[in-house]
Amino acid sequence: MAENQKATTKAKEPKAKKTRKPMKIKTRRSLEGLMFVTPWLIGAAVFFVFPLLTSIRLSFSELTSMKGFQMKWNGIDNYKYLFERSTTYIPNFLTEVKDTLIDTPITLVFSLIIAMLVNRDIKGRGFFRTVFFLPVLLGTGYVMEVLLSSEMNGVISIPSGLLQAIGASFAELVTGFLSRITTVLWKSGVQIILFLAGLQGISASLYEASRVDGATEWENFWKITLPLVSPIILLNFVYTMIDSFTDSGNAIMSDIEHCFNNGALARGASMGWFYFAFTFIVCIVVLAVMSRLTFNQGER
Amino acid sequence: MSKKKERKVKIKNGKVKKRIKISRIIVLVLVGCLVAFCAFPLIALICRAFMPLDELYVFPPRIFVRRPTLQNYKDLLTSLSSSTVPFSRYIFNSLWVTVVTVFCTIIVCSMGAYGMVKHKPIGAALIFTIVVAALGFSGHVTKIPSYMIVSGVGLMDSYAALIVPSVATAYNFFLMKQFCEQLPDSLLEAARIDGAKEMRIFWTIVMPLLKPAWSTLCVLTFISSWNDSFSPLVYIHSDAMKTLPLAIQTISGGAGVVARSGTPAAAALLTTAPTIIIYLIMKGQVLQTMAYSGIKS
Repeated sequence: MAENQKATTKAKEPKAKKTRKPMKIKTRRSLEGLMFVTPWLIGAAVFFVFPLLTSIRLSFSELTSMKGFQMKWNGIDNYKYLFERSTTYIPNFLTEVKDTLIDTPITLVFSLIIAMLVNRDIKGRGFFRTVFFLPVLLGTGYVMEVLLSSEMNGVISIPSGLLQAIGASFAELVTGFLSRITTVLWKSGVQIILFLAGLQGISASLYEASRVDGATEWENFWKITLPLVSPIILLNFVYTMIDSFTDSGNAIMSDIEHCFNNGALARGASMGWFYFAFTFIVCIVVLAVMSRLTFNQGER
Repeated sequence: MSKKKERKVKIKNGKVKKRIKISRIIVLVLVGCLVAFCAFPLIALICRAFMPLDELYVFPPRIFVRRPTLQNYKDLLTSLSSSTVPFSRYIFNSLWVTVVTVFCTIIVCSMGAYGMVKHKPIGAALIFTIVVAALGFSGHVTKIPSYMIVSGVGLMDSYAALIVPSVATAYNFFLMKQFCEQLPDSLLEAARIDGAKEMRIFWTIVMPLLKPAWSTLCVLTFISSWNDSFSPLVYIHSDAMKTLPLAIQTISGGAGVVARSGTPAAAALLTTAPTIIIYLIMKGQVLQTMAYSGIKS
């Protein structure tokens, strides 16, 4: 995302130079712009920036009185609690990290494969695209919870005849695998769409040229598709990771919610902040590593 | 855009004709399998919502319903309406809050993004940076301080408490920003030369051009606002002001209801319906624009 930012500012610079005008008009434009932005700015400042700062402060203090929200600075006590005395936080934290690390690559590979399949000229492309987007539509709220609850997993299982034939332990493996795939598929709607857009951005003449040179489809994938789609892989990687970390069905998220419901606000804030700080660091590391590996289209 | 696509497809068609048809069949089968995977839980859910009690507990579990019944919905309605508030009130609350939120979000975010991208006021770069950084945060962290503000202003337990805090979100702003950057400057310039006022330019040129963008925003905001059960949990105390997701969550968490496992499915299906309707209305625009956002920057 930081890269995005850089790219946009870079793109804007020459434009700004071209349309340079006397100072007066420029300041007028700026004022008009402010007029448009003000409603959003006020909203974001009041309901985003201020709460964010307050919750940082809250995570380092103790709530002395709910009325008027008085806090007392107590250093890193809340964080200490998480590590030294809380029995659930660290295990949950590790499970979430593990799940994210497993799910993210699977999601990426799957969505890339699906996007490539749907990108071919098969009949009913529109229909398939809608079906793959459907989970995004349904799967954000209560429905997802019901669908992924253990009860529904009971339904998603193999017939018992088959179960006896292949043995219980293997069957368990298969069921686990199947339910994981279903989960992954259900969460990859946005990624598929983004990949599709990326694939459509690759010019057909490239494939044409390589075919003339006698390259196989397999070679085309590794030498053309993958490098050209790599910026979107990066984008999707970050998106998937954040999505998985901030998923509402997530154990840490429900822990935080639980804290808030029981009035342990300061503890909840520290839980949230530690978690998000971690997410952030992971994202930055991934961005730093991946942005070296991705192929920049602009250099073509 | 569509023309370009067509051309590409045509080129591909020419290519494919030479190839054997088998590869095509393999692709179709593969995609079919994946679609089945994708759609399967949904079908199971739909069937489950109409299953009578005895079929729900058959072993091995059944996927398709044999004797469909509306009993689950009756159960749902009775358990929801058992309090003093009628069920329809929850639906009204949800609809009202969602519609107003969507409307306000579209206007505020479009205006903000347009002003920011095309007028570049002082500090625009800084604000962009904050927005991008903010994309990674979940609403949970900021909920409690927002609660302070809402209660401080005296909005607690009102519709405004559910609407106002969720209007100016970073993600929606980011999305609109990506689209605004594609607006041609020359068009705006021409309108200015013709003497159009800024507000007029916004409403008669910018908004129609941004229609695909804000229809996407419309669907996304609708989904998140309609399904949001956390903000009503924080801001709402009285039963009469609860929204549908919260009300359903309350009953499905109750001890007596766990036994009826068809009701959660019925409730899930019920909450899904409006999102599907709104998607179908906006469908043509959404898939197209989802494809554009985020990448062309």
